[in-house]
Amino acid sequence: MKMKTFLGVLVLGAFGAAKPGFAHHAFAAEYDATEPLTLTGVVVTVDWSNPHSYIHLDTKEKNGEVKHWMIEIAAPSQLLRHGLRKVDFTDGMTATVKAYQAKTDPTLANGRLLELKDGRSFYIGSVGGPNDGAETQAHPFLQ
Amino acid sequence: MSSIVATFEWLEGLAWTTALRESPYGYPLLETSHVAFIVVFAGLVITMDLRLAGLAFNQAPLAQIQQRLLPWQIGTFVPSALTGILLFCVDPLRYYRNVLFLAKLTFLLLAGLNALAFHIKTSRKPAEGWDQDSSVIAMARLAGVASLVLWSLTIIAGRLIPNNWF
Repeated sequence: MKMKTFLGVLVLGAFGAAKPGFAHHAFAAEYDATEPLTLTGVVVTVDWSNPHSYIHLDTKEKNGEVKHWMIEIAAPSQLLRHGLRKVDFTDGMTATVKAYQAKTDPTLANGRLLELKDGRSFYIGSVGGPNDGAETQAHPFLQ
Repeated sequence: MSSIVATFEWLEGLAWTTALRESPYGYPLLETSHVAFIVVFAGLVITMDLRLAGLAFNQAPLAQIQQRLLPWQIGTFVPSALTGILLFCVDPLRYYRNVLFLAKLTFLLLAGLNALAFHIKTSRKPAEGWDQDSSVIAMARLAGVASLVLWSLTIIAGRLIPNNWF
């Protein structure tokens, strides 16, 4: 009987261990909500893909060097819902992205708000990001 | 090694894998069905394993539980695997470089070998005699516990794949 109880706890524990994390992976596990960034640069390419899309952005550092950022953004379904389409991007265009710095990788960030040169702005955040008002900023009618 | 990478690059660049990767509905549907089939499959496997290990349903004959659940397990494993293969084809290089994906495949292989070994070892023995045969009972206990552990590890590693996603 003790063996049975022990095995039962082991199995339940094993399944319980798989529980943390939502959607694909938790924002807080990978990104630092206290490190907001505003990145302006050249869109090298946009990886419009599931389960997350990525914007590859080249910014110019203070010392003149080019820094290549990989900015994780929402999945295609969510981006479309917020009015952004794949054709809104052309490689080589300039754009501004508000984002949060990743905790370990210095070139990785989590995108929140995309501002295009034509004045349009889009919410690009993925599920589980901080409640920073990026969504209402992109959709003024929500205010 | 590089030929594997080249094959995966080719696979990733195909029209249908690209379309699925960029799709607003197709990919989420595929991903959801993969998980849904796994959930049902895991439930059926756990039910059988608990009996094999002698932890539950002990009034029911061993062979009855095992043989009745098997077709349902196969019927849910096949679509789990097919949706899984499709998900792999959509982004092969990311999975290939993902250590947790490789761990999941290893546990999956071991779980399969465990099931296969039990089937081979018991296939010659008439089902009615399983509950009287102490060697079958011992094998069932071992196979049941191993199956619980290996399938749990497979699912946990699978769930953690996105935490190693670049």
